[in-house]
Amino acid sequence: MGCRMDEMLGEGQIWYLNPKNYAHRMYKKREPGGREATTMLAGAEEIRASQVADRPIGEVVRDAAEAKANGDLDTFHRLIRELNEREAKVPGCHVLPLEDCFRVVDLVQGPMAAMMCICRKNVRGEEASCLDEYSCMGIGTGMLKWERWPERYRGGIEFLSPSQAKEWLEYWDKRGYVHMVMQEGQDFIGGLCNCDYPACQPLRLRLDYGVTSWLVKGEYVAKVDYNQCNGCGDCIKRCQFGALRYEVALDKANIDPFLCFGCGLCATICRRSAIELIPRERFPALANVW
Amino acid sequence: MLSPKITIDYSKCTIPFDCKRCLQTCASAVFMLVTLKSERGKETDKEETGAYRVEPWFRDRCTGCMDCVKACPVNAITIKVPKEVAP
Repeated sequence: MGCRMDEMLGEGQIWYLNPKNYAHRMYKKREPGGREATTMLAGAEEIRASQVADRPIGEVVRDAAEAKANGDLDTFHRLIRELNEREAKVPGCHVLPLEDCFRVVDLVQGPMAAMMCICRKNVRGEEASCLDEYSCMGIGTGMLKWERWPERYRGGIEFLSPSQAKEWLEYWDKRGYVHMVMQEGQDFIGGLCNCDYPACQPLRLRLDYGVTSWLVKGEYVAKVDYNQCNGCGDCIKRCQFGALRYEVALDKANIDPFLCFGCGLCATICRRSAIELIPRERFPALANVW
Repeated sequence: MLSPKITIDYSKCTIPFDCKRCLQTCASAVFMLVTLKSERGKETDKEETGAYRVEPWFRDRCTGCMDCVKACPVNAITIKVPKEVAP
């Protein structure tokens, strides 16, 4: 059993490897009531009636953080719980390793455009104006309308061929950014991002606020081969999820499989190929940990 | 636990996206830039007063370190630490 996106949209495979999720439903469906996503399940209406309703995820979490700052933990936990319940009905963002990013590029068969990262703009005031600074990718025919919203695509965009897209992904992997399929409730795949903590909102909100629904763990878990690992420590600083530690007694990298999101950044830096990405389902205790 | 109270004087903080010092100084990434002006066909001018605003978004993560207060070139940030603080 895969993650909820695999179950609803995968049809037997990883959902982001199913071509139907790219060629199909390229345009946002607009529903009455303002929310643009089509939900995976019927019966989402009762969630909309709650306090959390249709408010953007970031605003709900800001309110939750404010409640916590005022010492009101009951409101904090209630808002986060209601948010998770709401978001569990739609696709979430999904961490994936570089190899799977390449498979995604091969499946897109349509426009791919690199652009600035809105999360890093909002959290760190970052500006981007060239390909080396564009860490996010928009996928699909919607990108052909980008010039209507120059502030959203501040600094311009650059369309990429499949081989250029792979080079670009490799560049961000080298720099240590986590790859993820970016979702804001849609049921088609429209974005592929290269992310970091704390700027990336799906990442931040999961790690600091328990919003487990917006960012889903990857389909793999990293594992160190202790026969190959020489304790150099290069991989330790690559982990944005806090899953990597240096184990002093063994002089090895230690990966906590319960914290690992399977992004593969540790594996791609290892000069001895001592880290392998193993499909999550092969660990009985992790098969349903998303 | 009661977190420090953060106040931003918006008569002093007018071009936050141009300045961005609190955004880049805060280790806990408490602040968030909000885009108030976004027009079709035109990038927003960073130096236009009120086009953007910085808000304390994740206030529960504020430790009261005061690095933002020191970094702000126009002294727009005030931090009030309550008597009862985080353990």
